[in-house]
Amino acid sequence: MRTGEKALCVSDTGRFFATSPNFLDRLCGENLTSEDWDLLADQGCAILDGDALGAVSHIYGVAERLTRAGALDYLILVPTLRCNLSCTYCQVSRAGLHQPGFDWSEETLGSVLQLLDSLATPRIKIEFQGGEPTLRPDLLRAVIDRCERFEDRQFVVCTNLHELSDEILELFDRADLYISTSLDGDAATHGRNRTGGDASTGQFLANLRFVIERYGPHKVSALPTIDAASPPDIDGLIDAYVEHGLESIFLRPINYQGFARKRYPGAREQSDAWRLYYERFVRRLIERNWQDRSRVLEESYFSICLRRIFQPGADRHVDLRNPNPMGVDYIVVDHDGTVFPTDEARMLSRSGVVDLSIGDVANGWAGEKRELLNRHATNQFDPACQRCAYQPYCGRDLVDDIARYGRIDFPKPETEFCRRHLHIFDFLFDLIYDEDPAVRYSLSRWLRLAGTPPALGEILG
Amino acid sequence: MIPLNLPAFAEAERPFVTRLRTQNHSPKPSDSLLVDADETGSSFAGKNGLFAVDGTSALQMEGDVVLVQPIGGGAARMERLLRAGSHHNTLLVTERCDQLCVMCSQPPKKTHVDRFDLFEEACLLAEPGTLIGISGGEPTLYKDRLCSMIERVLGAREDLEFHVLSNGQHFERDDIERLRNPVFRRVCWGIPLYGAEPALHDRIVAKDGAFARLEESFATLLLSGARIELRTVLLSINLSALPSLARHVTRRLRFIECWSIMQLENTGFARNRWSQLYVDHGTNFSPVAAALDCAALHGIPARLFNFPRCSVPEPYRAQAPASISDWKRKYMPPCSACREREQCCGFFEWHPDDEAIRAVTPL
Repeated sequence: MRTGEKALCVSDTGRFFATSPNFLDRLCGENLTSEDWDLLADQGCAILDGDALGAVSHIYGVAERLTRAGALDYLILVPTLRCNLSCTYCQVSRAGLHQPGFDWSEETLGSVLQLLDSLATPRIKIEFQGGEPTLRPDLLRAVIDRCERFEDRQFVVCTNLHELSDEILELFDRADLYISTSLDGDAATHGRNRTGGDASTGQFLANLRFVIERYGPHKVSALPTIDAASPPDIDGLIDAYVEHGLESIFLRPINYQGFARKRYPGAREQSDAWRLYYERFVRRLIERNWQDRSRVLEESYFSICLRRIFQPGADRHVDLRNPNPMGVDYIVVDHDGTVFPTDEARMLSRSGVVDLSIGDVANGWAGEKRELLNRHATNQFDPACQRCAYQPYCGRDLVDDIARYGRIDFPKPETEFCRRHLHIFDFLFDLIYDEDPAVRYSLSRWLRLAGTPPALGEILG
Repeated sequence: MIPLNLPAFAEAERPFVTRLRTQNHSPKPSDSLLVDADETGSSFAGKNGLFAVDGTSALQMEGDVVLVQPIGGGAARMERLLRAGSHHNTLLVTERCDQLCVMCSQPPKKTHVDRFDLFEEACLLAEPGTLIGISGGEPTLYKDRLCSMIERVLGAREDLEFHVLSNGQHFERDDIERLRNPVFRRVCWGIPLYGAEPALHDRIVAKDGAFARLEESFATLLLSGARIELRTVLLSINLSALPSLARHVTRRLRFIECWSIMQLENTGFARNRWSQLYVDHGTNFSPVAAALDCAALHGIPARLFNFPRCSVPEPYRAQAPASISDWKRKYMPPCSACREREQCCGFFEWHPDDEAIRAVTPL
């Protein structure tokens, strides 16, 4: 482990324990005593002779770690690529507000509706991306109306909240609709990155306040995009969220996509400075949660990774799962009807780096290209991942590798994806074995536990 | 308390299953129609002749699927097998058992009366979408009869489901193929485990080797893709072992669908051993809390059955549903002021009133 003398042992099922260097020596030297074996078996990390249940339970545990992608029930839709803002780091290279040819045509809308009719699942999740999707409330409404037949519906509108027309508010009033927006920090930071002016920043903040007052904070999520080269003051950023009643902050460094590739070339690799900032940010959340128990602040991605350590099957976050099948349970439909396996694949294609489209919404996407991607959409047989303690918790992101390095066979430890997750999991295990009650308190909340257990990880030997 | 067994008179000489109808909608051959009723009882007529029932008004039994069992000289007993609109219908398929649990609520008998054919008939008449409970004794002592009934009923009725209470002592490797039949996706096996220590479990069920045999069965059921509800009754002798059981479950029994931790029912053997066995979780909730936290940490859904909500600390209260069957549930007078009464299990009808009243603090 990163700190102290202990070593972390993780089995294929993701069960783990910390241990002394002595135990580790016996384990590696194949000198285990019979007491050691009993302890390992008790951890579910060894199967003793004749233990039929232990054997099948282990196999089940390995299987539990694998994503079971179901039928298509999650669509990311881009009804328009036009936008009324021009953020410095725009990841999709948005089109101008009045540029023609960047909205769904009648035919594309028809094909999307037909696709909805053809889905066999009882539930549907639709995320409207852009561009700025609220520029086309008519298209949003047409899609939402067509989903009435699903038992369970969830709509997310990813919007800059710049303009709030009555027509949009009528859609927002739906109980099954959620609003996702960007909030980069205090007004000055937000203005510098996104709106480019005090007046429009003021308008955005007024709109954000308005929707939160109207619907409550549960319906609104926001995430800050951080320029790692000059990150905002931590407490200032947290305060900007707390002020609006928002408790989850998804700290997102500038994505190496779209306009950002040219304007923020440093975003290709995250630096140690970023990782240090990230740790300071999480530690500050822990302190603040301990001081004020009336709410639980969290960094969303940190919580996702934490839950993946303890709770196999937490696979709904499609950016971190293994295998990570492409074009199966979710797809992206672009402004021209092109189908992409992920939103990042759309951005990459738009930047002209590589065409990762897998088809179009009228004619389908189950072709050779999707198969090719899916043959490599797992971390299980990668020589580096196989030797990594965090493999059961980690994921695979082909598109990210292609975006940064133009290939998928780059040695994993040299990829940004790997470095980022190694760091997060190292940091997480430091905290899991941290005896500070404030740390355990926050971790238990992020794990959604009712109480705070005396320890989250066991120590052997 | 809702009466399930009623004295009756019947023309028939053999037992039969029928559905009670108070109004002539569009009668099916399996229906018996109300012909007369007064304050003391009602009489019905169907293809098995006339029968009269005492004790409950006909309207309350509208739509019930009942078994009329002649006991000689015209006298009979009527069992309300599947009460219309109730979510708590259980068929007692045998009274024999090969365990003798210290707190058994339904103490076993030596003899077995095979009524599977009648039960099958009743199940086929069940209201759409019913979950039918099967209990005993130990139903899997008649594993082949039981499975055949399940296969035929679920094969004929795609809308039905079964929940079978079993001690898990009789599943064998040879059953795997049979249990992989997709109809068994609609069967959940409720199986008890009282501790992670073999000796503790064996002592509670009064059978040597029961724990080891159960582990074999769990392996078989996992390989069969069976759905399992794990059940643990809380006792003075296993309360402190609950956290270690939770750890055991999260390591070896991850494939269960849910884990039910159940407070003791004051009936059967538990009645005379109440002071030895019953443990008031209200005064020592920490082992229960530790077990719930451990299960939640590792993603195992756990629930508290028969735990009145006011006796459960607030953070864990959502895990205590209204679990006690409607026909044997009661509340104390102060409960009428409680805002969570609707979500609360209340008490078993036979729970000592003096203890219950002391336990209640309306929310």
